[in-house]
Amino acid sequence: MRSTGERAGSERISRPMASEDYHVISCSTVAEELGRLGVPGDRMTVLDFGLHMDPDKLRAAVQAEIDAVPGDCDILLGYGLCSNGVVGLRSDTHRLVIPLSDDCIALFLGSREEHLARLRATPGTYYLTKGWVEAQSGPIQEYERIRERYGEKRADRVVKALFGNYTHVVLINTGNYNMDFYREFAKAMAAFLGLQFQEIPGSNRLLTRLLSGDWDSEFAVVEPGTPMPFDVFQS
Amino acid sequence: MGEQLDKVKVALTELDLDAIAPAVKEALDDGEDPTLILASMADGMAAVGELFEKGEYFLADLVLAGEGMKEGLEVLEPHLEAGTTGQKGTVVLCTVKGDIHDIGKNLVATMLSSAGYNVVDLGTDVPEDKVVDAVRANQAGAVGLSVLLTPMVGSIGDVVSALEEAGLRDQVKIAIGGACTTQELADRMGVDALGRDAVEAIRIFDGFFS
Repeated sequence: MRSTGERAGSERISRPMASEDYHVISCSTVAEELGRLGVPGDRMTVLDFGLHMDPDKLRAAVQAEIDAVPGDCDILLGYGLCSNGVVGLRSDTHRLVIPLSDDCIALFLGSREEHLARLRATPGTYYLTKGWVEAQSGPIQEYERIRERYGEKRADRVVKALFGNYTHVVLINTGNYNMDFYREFAKAMAAFLGLQFQEIPGSNRLLTRLLSGDWDSEFAVVEPGTPMPFDVFQS
Repeated sequence: MGEQLDKVKVALTELDLDAIAPAVKEALDDGEDPTLILASMADGMAAVGELFEKGEYFLADLVLAGEGMKEGLEVLEPHLEAGTTGQKGTVVLCTVKGDIHDIGKNLVATMLSSAGYNVVDLGTDVPEDKVVDAVRANQAGAVGLSVLLTPMVGSIGDVVSALEEAGLRDQVKIAIGGACTTQELADRMGVDALGRDAVEAIRIFDGFFS
């Protein structure tokens, strides 16, 4: 079941759905983009970015919010597979709609294909977005924390273990924000780790389509009473 | 548990890195059985893993624990019986093609080496033919594959197929691990086991070689 949204095949809808037809549950990093695309605050539940570190916690948190959405509108999920954190989500009354992406990077790049092509070409890429920069401490801060307690030699080894296989720091610019601060952060990170810095344009294409109801094979549309399957994410 | 053994475990659990090697040395001086000291270190690593699961420790802390384990092992290894070093069997380890994440894989390598396995670590982003070559060249009895990125899980299947084509599948057991792995995936890929952490890895490979 890649998608049960057959209606999208016959007639493409390019304009956004009426906001009373959906409720969004989204990770904070993605929610900011969705807000820019016109999702009203009262139609969106925003969850902590840190949940992605623990897929079971992520699933429980999203499920609780799904259960709290009244009525029978469609629930649009501002997530990817996120280490299987979304697998098993279900609602008895709402359809669940999710972009078929492995993580949020594809949501910022505009398509899963773009993400995969980049991964294959440059596996050692550390992606940064505005939300990612805001939500976690950078390697420089981490290095200082470790150096203070464990000394320089061990801090060097830990940073090498954490980042030694990366070759690039890539900042995704979706064009929605002033990126000066984030660019400086990313550049400083790249310089500190001895990696190549690159800034690339992002795209809201996939998120725009999520909001448009134009759900073809890039989305899973899960009917009420059905748990979110794992295999639908396998290309 | 003896007091010295407990010190080893606590030093590792609390990431008190400066205390680990001395604690191991003290335990040895006190005449503790080196294999029990090793077991205490494994207990410490398991406790670190639990704290990571709870969100109290971060990724960097896992790496620090791995460093602590290595520092302790440097003191301990000369005292372990020759029969326990590399004699349990040979395991080929790697992070699969398309993926460069290796923190978990490196912890598994450290733990398996300490548990008496000869570990052939091929590194990251490793194509399937390299795994086949390494299994053949080292007459390995098991393969451990690590993957963090969901888009790269297909690389596991590539390794399984390549081992089958090379006629080696029957002589190796395969275990997988990594953030995106599930039992469902393990079943689908036709591998023999799924491990959640480095301590579980020892149990799995012990099972493979028993």
